[in-house]
This record gives sequence, structure tokens and C-alpha cells, in this order.
Amino acid sequence: MNLNDYEDILEPRRFDLSHFFWCSKKLNSVIAYKQNIKPTPSLLKEAVLNDPKIQKFLEEISREKRIPKDFLDAQVRLILDEIGYQKNLKIIRLLGLVLVKICLKVCEGIFVNHNSISHIKSVMGSCPVIFVPSHRSYADFILMSLICFTYDIEIPAIAAGMDFHGMWAMGSILRDTGAFFMRRSYNNDTLYWTTFKQYVYQLVTKGDLPIEFFIEGTRSRSNKSMMPKYGLLNMILKPLFLRQVPDIIFVPINISYEKIMEEKLFSFELLGVPKPKESTSAFFKSLSIIKENYGSIHMTFGKPLCSKQFFGEYLDTSRRSTGPIHEQELTERDKSMIPSLSHEIIYIQQKMTTLYVMNLIALLTNHNLTKDEELLSYDELKEKILWLKMILEKFDANIWSTDIDSDIKKAFEVHKNIIHLTGNRKIDIVKDHVNLANIDITKLKGYHLSEKVMTQSVPFVMLYIYINPILHCIVDAALIVIILKMYANSTSDSIFQRYHFLRNLFLYDFVTYYTRIPLDFQKAVNICTNFKLIQINSDGKYNLCENQQNLVEIFISSIEPFLYSYFTTLQILETYNRCDEKRILVEVQEKIVFEMEHKFIHPYSLNLDSIAHCLSSLVLSASIKRVRGDNGVAYEIDRTKVSMVKNTLEPYILKPHLGKTIHNNVLRNKL
Amino acid sequence: MINEEKENSAGNIENGSSKLNQDNKKFQETINVKSVVPKYRQELLKWNGWGYKDCRFEVNAGDVTSISLTGNRYPIAGKNLPHFEGWVKNTFNVDLVNPTLSQALPEEDKYPKTLLIAEELVRIVRLNIPYSLRGVDRMLRAHGQTLHDIFTLRNGMFERIPDIVLWPTCHEEVEKIVELANELNIAILVFGGGTAVSGAVECPVNERRTIISLDTSQMNKILWVDEANLVACIESGIIGQDLERELKALGYTTGHEPDSYEFSSLGGWVATRASGMKKNIYGNIEDLLVHVKMVTSKGVLEKNCQVPRLSCGPDFNHIVLGSEGSLGVITEVILKIRPLPKCTRYGSIVFPNFESGVQTMRQVAKWRCQPASIRLMDNEQFKFGMILKPDAGLIGSLIDILKKLYLTKIKGFEFDKLCVMTLLFEGDEKQVKEQEKRVYDIAGEFGGFPAGETNGERGYMLTFVIAYLRDIALEYRIVAESFETSVPWDRAISLCANVKQRIAQECRDLSIRHFLISCRVTQTYDAGCVIYFYFAFNHGDVSDPVATHHQIESRARDEIIACGGSISHHHGVGKLRTKWYPQTVSEVGVSLYNATKNELDPKIYLRRII
Repeated sequence: MNLNDYEDILEPRRFDLSHFFWCSKKLNSVIAYKQNIKPTPSLLKEAVLNDPKIQKFLEEISREKRIPKDFLDAQVRLILDEIGYQKNLKIIRLLGLVLVKICLKVCEGIFVNHNSISHIKSVMGSCPVIFVPSHRSYADFILMSLICFTYDIEIPAIAAGMDFHGMWAMGSILRDTGAFFMRRSYNNDTLYWTTFKQYVYQLVTKGDLPIEFFIEGTRSRSNKSMMPKYGLLNMILKPLFLRQVPDIIFVPINISYEKIMEEKLFSFELLGVPKPKESTSAFFKSLSIIKENYGSIHMTFGKPLCSKQFFGEYLDTSRRSTGPIHEQELTERDKSMIPSLSHEIIYIQQKMTTLYVMNLIALLTNHNLTKDEELLSYDELKEKILWLKMILEKFDANIWSTDIDSDIKKAFEVHKNIIHLTGNRKIDIVKDHVNLANIDITKLKGYHLSEKVMTQSVPFVMLYIYINPILHCIVDAALIVIILKMYANSTSDSIFQRYHFLRNLFLYDFVTYYTRIPLDFQKAVNICTNFKLIQINSDGKYNLCENQQNLVEIFISSIEPFLYSYFTTLQILETYNRCDEKRILVEVQEKIVFEMEHKFIHPYSLNLDSIAHCLSSLVLSASIKRVRGDNGVAYEIDRTKVSMVKNTLEPYILKPHLGKTIHNNVLRNKL
Repeated sequence: MINEEKENSAGNIENGSSKLNQDNKKFQETINVKSVVPKYRQELLKWNGWGYKDCRFEVNAGDVTSISLTGNRYPIAGKNLPHFEGWVKNTFNVDLVNPTLSQALPEEDKYPKTLLIAEELVRIVRLNIPYSLRGVDRMLRAHGQTLHDIFTLRNGMFERIPDIVLWPTCHEEVEKIVELANELNIAILVFGGGTAVSGAVECPVNERRTIISLDTSQMNKILWVDEANLVACIESGIIGQDLERELKALGYTTGHEPDSYEFSSLGGWVATRASGMKKNIYGNIEDLLVHVKMVTSKGVLEKNCQVPRLSCGPDFNHIVLGSEGSLGVITEVILKIRPLPKCTRYGSIVFPNFESGVQTMRQVAKWRCQPASIRLMDNEQFKFGMILKPDAGLIGSLIDILKKLYLTKIKGFEFDKLCVMTLLFEGDEKQVKEQEKRVYDIAGEFGGFPAGETNGERGYMLTFVIAYLRDIALEYRIVAESFETSVPWDRAISLCANVKQRIAQECRDLSIRHFLISCRVTQTYDAGCVIYFYFAFNHGDVSDPVATHHQIESRARDEIIACGGSISHHHGVGKLRTKWYPQTVSEVGVSLYNATKNELDPKIYLRRII
């Protein structure tokens, strides 16, 4: 990546005599969509209530349920007060001040590709602009607002989950800085959802602020992209399909963290420890974070994506010229157009990921630890990092690196809770750092993992949190490599057939869109060939090259835990006709734990995300069916189909496992 | 004789039936109208632009450039327009120097040769109907007033023009022409006032048959006026200003006043479903039309009575209305007439923004208290109107400054957002007063306030003058065109915004940096309104400005239709908008049209819509 594209927004602040002065700067913010009638938060809410659609709806309920209309009006007002954003410039400035102070303390730098921001500002003004950042941390919210404040962009209206709403003081602070709140989708309250949808509609058509939302719906615990959610996106796009706005511009944004604030929490969550409820006291506790060093943050703003251009002629051919406009809804055909846009955004977010040296170290260390080899020495590591960096860049990775020695040094400093140099300068993971005191075993979402298993697993899972961001670059190549390892001498067609199967099976872990699969395949084949990782014989058949053994192993090791999770999940599913989700999670983890006793199984295989993703993907391929059971979600299983999938996957499960067992590993370190 | 009787009858309409028979008889005589526009149009009208030859915007380069409208036909004529140059510079980045002048009227041998063969000529001459084979006459009837037409006139030549021009003087002569065309397999293009903006009168390039241009202009008599029923029977070739002048002399008006009414013809109005500025009181052409005769190759389509309404299956008047010269030749029309209003008053209202203006119009329409005309100009058009403001002198300028200060400082209007509505009231004094009050009250609710009569009057006067601007624009490398649509109320504002944005986007994509897109709401209905767009750009280095303009306008029409607007409110389909015809009327609609076409004109002697 070109280091010059980025500037550190903290840099000028380091020289400020007083940050107060900066925070009180005169604001000349660019707005997203100039309106003839300047909207205010209360005008927007009022307009929602008075909208013919809402009024008609209320009258209907009033008649049907014999509830006085005034009462319903008041209900809607309450809902709107719960949803609606506010804007308090004083709070924004104050927050700016506090944030700058905190960031200066805990961050090495917040790097932003400022030219992109200038470009975005230049196209703002004539239609709604939607910021769509990746979501890896709570810090995303705050950073986005800080960036907008810094670059004189009107602070966006931010779609936030209700979890924050409940937090004392925090809820109102967030609201004052532009957050609007959205309940979780499993809530079925029609009055609420009708009101919420109308609020978004109003915000898009008559608002002038940019809107910010997280297309993945929630923070990704695994630090890699998740399947996009369509609900809010549909609401945002509705006015475009109804032609109530000229266009809608989406700005995909990637926020990469050298160290994620929630890394430990996420690791626990992935293993099944439930997410603690958001509370202000927990927030203050988390302020202990300011003692730590979080390294760098990179915010990459993508090219503005004009949805009108994206949807092209389709928009002009949609026929909705009869009937009152306020009663129009998206058609099924409209809705079927929208996923391609959301996947495009996710794809761009992924491509813009910034990788740090730590991500490379994590991949290399993981490979080293899962092979029965000596621990890496510092020099070996450095050499391998340089080698890997060169390779990953061929796969379009953006790696933030200035001086390799200082980068490695910094990585060890920032991630001292994950990796360390042993006494004889060998690289190992930190194992005895896991504090299980606060965990209530009874609340685990999956199998009751023993303390021993937890202690063994958490460091590996944390390591994987830093491997995952690399995977979108190499997963295609890794799949091709593992296919060729199992099926040497394959034609391009047969590789693609197998690749297609795997890519679809892992669709939720390595997010992609079906239209992209053939393209990505071809691209990966080309890179691998150019790079002499695979070769094509004169008869048109492909094989792995002999001399890239190391890279082959690294690629394979990077996806092995996923293969294993999925395989085990399929094995469990095969034994049922119908089963609760909870039970599947428990049994899969149980089986993996059992296997771990005997041989090395990567503990990341235990992660519940992958198991859930496997289920989702099987639902998509209609191998299983998601139903409502007595204890929440359950699945009806088509055993024949599941067995078929399992059998197709089985050859890729490598036996015997090459890795060291954890026991050995633990033992050796104790010696 | 007619004039004398006018004195007796004017204002006596309500005086009981005893007088009616008498009146009725008196106006049975045909009025042979002497048209303002001569048979050889180019003697009075520009051959390569809009309107009268003696009216054009002229740039006088001296120490200080001054711009004015020549002639003395319009109120601003002869007055210096001091804001013109600066605005043009700001909007289009154009300096008013080095005009690109039009070619001279081509020499007789430069026109496409007539394809008429001797045998056909003999037969035509035998009809004893005036004709011309001159190139210039044929060329002047090969076009309307689209940008493409004018650009071609100024810089090139049409590939195909009519082979002969015929000037029938009555219905029977038209019948003879159509019959002969049938017999000899000759195509006919009907030509009226020459103001079409749909490409309808352009000759199909691939038409290898002889083409007759049937010019209706000499068929312009008022055959009779029936005061008892308040209708008049008029030949289709009469142009608006002649018709109104003659009726005015009798104390009547049709009240039909499209912006082109100085030059456009009755037949054209019927054929395109025209709409007049004062339709709120008098109705559109379809409301005015009581009876119509159309000569088709199967005979004459007409009804046997002159009744106000009839229930008798589908109304075939509506086959004629909007037929755009594709089903037959309209020859005689019975139109409603109304006594002249006693009181006419203009008005204007300033609004803080476009939305509040549209909301006002919607309310006015809702309560059906529209004055004769109510129009809303957007901010760009308001500013554009300012350039046609004559030099007001020192005091006048001071007053203007004060007015502007009042608006922006005291009323808190933003100069870049405010909009102006112009109003025209008609009726008796009392009615006008009531109407004024209602409209101004409604406007007040939406933040508008009256801005005086003069502004309103100027607005309407400019309607006629604006058309002359395109010619000077072309001289300075700016191409301009207007297009219109109708739209339901609830989509009007978003349609305007989206079309403007779409055009801006298309311009950006084509690297056109200096352009103007502006709109106005020109008509209100119960269920919606009419929007007129003006689009112009500095074509600088664009290699084919007309095609580029056409492309952008076509995208804008896509946008309009996607936003719930129509293919056209009153300009018609012509050749420019056939693309959107099927989706507008459905496939069944297309076959219904084709079936009608096959019935009335099986060999396609006339043009076709689709």
C-alpha cells in the first residue's frame, strides 16, 4: 500500500497547545443532501407522525382494536423519541476533546486516506450519502464521528443498536451526537417497525445529514467480514426505487485496527461465553483500556458508489407510476436487486483492509505452532515476514509497514498479551494470561468447556482474530491448493467444480457473492500460476509445484480449523432428523473437545461462529431447514444431502494431523 | 357589417332567448380572415429561427456591450437589458463575441430535388389547388421548431423535404387531395403553423414516394359563429392570433392560448391535444372541441350533430384529438367560444422555496380556486427572468436593491432558493377580487406573499419573448430546448429534483460544465400538474451538440417516466418520443392504434406515431 495516501489525524493534535481550541473550531461542515427546507431532528419526527401512511395505519389500528387515535399518536411519539437522533454541538465538541485526548494516549496514529475524503466531500450535496464502515469494534462509531468532525463533514446520523440506548448517560450522549436507535429485528411490533421504517424514509428523503450504518448488522467477532444484512439497506434504498431521491451514494469504509479493543471479549464469545450486557459501568471499567497501547488504526474511505449507476437501467424500467407514492413498497424484484449492492460494499470493504505486521506474525506463528517444528527464532520470523509480505501483496493485500524491525518490535509490544519472545528469543504465544474468574460456566452458549480447554484455547482463538483479516486475500488460493493436494493432476474445470463447492459451503465464513466466484477463481489461478505455486502441464492439467511446500502448508493451515469445524458439524447433523440449534452447538464442541484429547485439533475449530455459519450455508443449499422449535431455533435435516456434503468435504480433512498436540506443547513450555 | 352587429350583441348573452335567434342569424356569414402570416411565410417570419423576422435579440458591441430585442412587437423591445451579458457569462461561460452566424437562405438549386414525376404533377395541377415546387417553400414545410430543425436550417440541409406544397382553401379541396393521393400512392404530411416540437412534420428519410406537404394555412375561415350555443365553426388552418383577433372583434374569445398561439394553428392544437395557458377557465382543446371533421382515405370522420356531450360508444373525437396528422387531415372544427372577460388582472407571489410554491398550487387546485393561469417558476428561472429586465434607471435600480434587501433581510428568504408564482385573473371585478383573496390567503399559509402586478404581467409577456432567446443562444454556441410533462401531485417535487439531478449527472459524464436546467409548474389539475423544463448548455467542443442534447433529453425523459411523469402533456409524441409510446399505452394500446391506422390509412399515406 502507498503510505503517502494516508495522513495521521492525530499528528497535528500532538502539537496543539490546547485541544480545546481545536474542538471549538468554527465548523463549516459539508452536508450530504441540501434541502430547500432545512430539516431539524424534531421536524423529521413530526413529519413521520403526520405522514399519510402512518396516519392511515394508526386509523386502521384504532378502528380494529378500538384504541383511541390520540393514544396511538402518543405511542408513535414515544417510539420516535426512542428512535430519533438529536444534535448537540456542545456535546460533539466535548466528545471531540475527550476522544482526542484518549486517542493521543492509546494510539500510535489514526491514519486516513485523506484524498478520498476530499473527493467524497466534493460529490456531496445533491443526494443522500450513506457511510458504510466495516464493524469490528465499538470504537468504529466514535472514530467515524471524530473523522467527520476533523474533516468538516456533518456528523452522520448513525444507526445504533438498542444495547446502547439502555446505557445510562451513554445513550443520550450518543443520541446527541447523531445516533438513532434500532431495535433488534426479531421484535415483531408492527407499530414500532412501521414507525421506524418511516423514520428512515424521512431521514433519507428529507434529511440533510449523511447516514451511517453497519451493513454487517453487528460487530464481527472474528475480525473478518460477515454476510451483509439487508433490512436497513432495503429501508434506505426504498426512496431510490420509489424515485423520491435523485440518487443515493454509498461510501464503503474499512476500519482496520492493529489491536482490537474487544479482542479478549470476542475470543470468549467465539468459544461460547455470552456477550456481557452493555452498561455504563462496564464502559468505565473498559476505560482501563487507556492504559494500553492499541497501535495504529487505519480508516480507508472507498470510492463513492452511486447506486443509480450501480442498478443501471433497471431503475428506469420499474413500473410504479400508479397509486399513491406513500403506499408503494419495494417489490420482490427490487429486493432481489439489493443483495448485489450490499455484497459489492462488503467486497470493497474487504479489499480496503489494512494488514499489520502482527497479522503476518499471527499467520506464521500459528503455522509454526500447529506443525511439529521448533519454535521460530526472531531472525527466522523476520525473514519469513518479509517473504510472506511479498506474497500477500501479490494477492492485493495492503500491508502497513515502514521499517520491518520496528514494526515487529511494535507488534510484540502492542500484542504482548498474545505473543512473546521466550527466554531464548523464540516466538511463542502467551498461554497463562487467561483469566477465567468472571466467567459463569452455566451461561455458556455451547458445550461446557472445561477450564483446561478454555485456557488452552483462548490464546489460539486470539491469535486467529489476527489471522482472519488476511484470509479474504488468500482463501481462494488456499482452496485451490488444498484441492490440488488431494486431487493432483486436475483440469481447470474439475478444480473449479470442487472450488465452487467449497466456496459455497464456506460462504458465510469467507463472504463472497455468487457472481464473483468464477472471477475470483480465475484470478487466484492466475496469481498462483504466475507465482509458481501451481503449474499447468502440457496436457492442460494442474499440479502443485514442488518447491513451494512451505507456502502450501501455510495456506492450508490457515483454513484447516474451518474445515474441521464444518466437518464435525456435518458429522453431528448426520445423526439427526431434527435438532435444536443449541444442541448442535453443544455436540459439535463436545466432539471436538473429545478429539482434542487424542490429537492436535486446532482450538479455533471450537468457535461457534463457524458452526453457525456452516448451518446457515446448509440452509442456503437446502440441505437443512431452519424452523422454530420449542427451545428457539431448530433444524430439520435432510440426512442424505448432509451426508453428501460431508463426504465431499471429507477428503480435505487431513489425517493424521500434522500439528503438535496441545499437551506436548504445554508440557514443553513448562519444562 | 359584422362589426356593427358586434355592438348589439356584446354582453347581451344573458338577455333571454328572444334575441338569440336573431343573433344567430346575423353571424351565419363566413369571415374570410386575413392572416397576419402570409402564404409565403418567410416574408414575415424567420426562415431559420423563431417568430418574426424583425424580432431578435441583438448584441451591440460598443464601448459597453448592450443587448436588446429589436422591433416593436413586444413590450421590452428596444430596451437595453443590462443584466443579460453577466448572466450569460456566469451561467454558460460565454462572452458575447464572435457569433456563429447562420448560413444564408440557400439558393434555389441547393435544395433536395423534388421526386415528383410529370404524371403526378399533371394530376395535381388538374386539382386546381395552389401549389409550389420551389425549394424554399418545400424546405420551410419540412420541419417544426425542435433544436434539431433549427440547427439544421442554420448549418445544413434536411436530407428529405416534401416534393410539393399544396395550399387547399377548404374541406372539399382536402378531400380531393386525399383522394388523389390514394389513387397515385402519394404520401401526405399535414403542415399547420410550423411550431411542432416533436419532429412530427419531418419527412421520413426513407420515404421514396412523392410527399405532398398539405399546408392548411389558406384554409382559415371562420365559417360561422353561433351565439345561441356559443360555438364557432372554424377551418383548421387558422392561427391563434388571427382567431382571437377576429373573435375579439365580435366580443368573444376561445380562451385557448398556448404559448405558441401567435403562430400555431387550430388543426395543430387538435392534432396534438394542445393546452392553453388559461385552461383553468376555458379548458384544454379537448374541452373546447365540440365537433370536428377529419378527412381520411376512407372518407370523412364526423358526427351528425353538434351536441354538448353524447353517450354513443367510444368518443371518436378522441381518435382525432392527438392523432398528430397520422390518421387523417383535420379540416373544420367547431369550438366553444366565451364572451370576453370584463376584468383581467395579473399578480405575483414570492415564495421562500420551490416546495412551498408547489404546496400552494396543490391547495389552490384542491379547492379549485385556480385563476385563469397560475404558474410557478423555480429559482433558476426566476433569476433567468431577471436578465430580461430592462435598464430601470437609477431610481429603479435602487428600488430593486431595496426589494431584494426586504426579501432577504426582513423576510429571511434566501436569494438562491426563492421562487416566484405568476397569476392571471379573469372574470368580472368581483370574481377577480374574490379569487385574488383566496389565492393570496392560501399562499400566505405557505410563507408566500404578494409581489405585485407588474412582476406577474412581465412573467406572461416573457413567455412569448423567451422563445426568441434560442436563436441568440445558438449564435453563441449554446443549445437550448424545453420539454414538458405532467405528473401526479405527490410526485411533482421529487420529479423536478430528480430530473435536474439526472441532467447534471449526464452533463458531468459528458464533461459539459456550463449548463442550465430549470423548471416551472405551468398548469394545475385536480390530480396533478404540468412541469416545463428548460435545458441549455454551452456546447463548446462537443462535436455533435444536437445529438448530445438529444441524448441528454432522452435520459431526462427516462427519468421523468421513472418518476411517474408522462411522455408529454401537450407537445405530443411526434418522432422524438415514439420510444416511450408502447410503455405508455401498453401493447394492447399499440395494436389498437395500429388497427385504427390500418383502418383509416391502410397504405400509410400519412405519417405514423409508432
